[in-house]
Amino acid sequence: MTGEPMKKERVPKEDGRYIIFYSFEDEDEKEKVEDSGEDSTS
Amino acid sequence: MNQLRWDPTLEEWVAYATHRQDRTFLPPAEYCPLCPTKPGGFPTEVPRESYEIAVFENRFPSFAPDAPEPEEKGSALTPTASGRGVCEVVLYSDEHDATLAGMSEGRIRNLVEVWADRYEELGSLDFVQYVFIFENKGEAIGVTLHHPHGQIYAYPFIPPRPARELRAAREYSSGDRCLHCDLLSQEHEDGRRIVAKGEHFSAFVPFYAHFPYEAHVYARRCIPSIADLNGEERVDLAHLLKRLLVGYDNLFGFSLPYMMVMHQAPTDGEDYRGVAHFHIEFYPPNRTADKLKYLASSETGAGAFIADALPEQTAATLREALESAAP
Repeated sequence: MTGEPMKKERVPKEDGRYIIFYSFEDEDEKEKVEDSGEDSTS
Repeated sequence: MNQLRWDPTLEEWVAYATHRQDRTFLPPAEYCPLCPTKPGGFPTEVPRESYEIAVFENRFPSFAPDAPEPEEKGSALTPTASGRGVCEVVLYSDEHDATLAGMSEGRIRNLVEVWADRYEELGSLDFVQYVFIFENKGEAIGVTLHHPHGQIYAYPFIPPRPARELRAAREYSSGDRCLHCDLLSQEHEDGRRIVAKGEHFSAFVPFYAHFPYEAHVYARRCIPSIADLNGEERVDLAHLLKRLLVGYDNLFGFSLPYMMVMHQAPTDGEDYRGVAHFHIEFYPPNRTADKLKYLASSETGAGAFIADALPEQTAATLREALESAAP
């Protein structure tokens, strides 16, 4: 659960404001995969 | 219209944002402006079908980057100023019914990353002196939208409460000691008000809690802002926030309303090392499951809080709520 890397995309809105979309590697899913891997080898 | 007026009796600015009277008020879930825009659906604030975490400029801001100089000039005694600043909305999830307490530690960890990024970006603006990250949760606090979100106010001044806290810390730190480090040490040594401890953060009901179930989350290391947290500290903060929030929801058996605020270094160019100590404060308004603590005459008119319960008692109850909610 490192939370990295973070991607940041800034998009202008029609009325002049902005919206920023943040996205991350899905670390929770990674952890699940790692966990299941440990189970299968035990 | 964003305008500041100086109150010389309390020596503080009051912000006026009259357009906020028209803001969206508790819309039905199908018209939530913070949900993603679905194909064929009405356009929300988010022009995408899904998102992880998103941040946008508030449509009804208390402060705006392009706020003009006010037409009302006031006087030498009661001057006015432009309400120049930034107000952002932080969307924690695209799921309308989610709450921070129900999110994974990984998602909260990512949110910490976003908060740190916003602190740095907004704090770099030359007209911003204080980046205030907060969340109002629940109708008892006056939220107008249920979708899980927090807010950020980038103020053109250091707001009174953090300013007062910083002044106290600076006076105390003249002897080379950090006020908050010493408070944290005192809480650790006493132990009765500690609610949860992580590797890098501790949560406790302060000795001088104003609200019955108020909790403060302190970084153990003396760092000025959320942006100064290293990777391990960010992971631990997410872990401790998750534990505290789940415990809050377990306290009375419902999703507990609260105000969550972050106190950290101003961004006015001064050096706050050893003075500002990053921490988060939670103020739940409930004093029991069905009774709220109101800020009435003594609290509002005199500035003197009257508390109904001792912090040692509420900390024990809250600690039990955290422990019984643990998996």
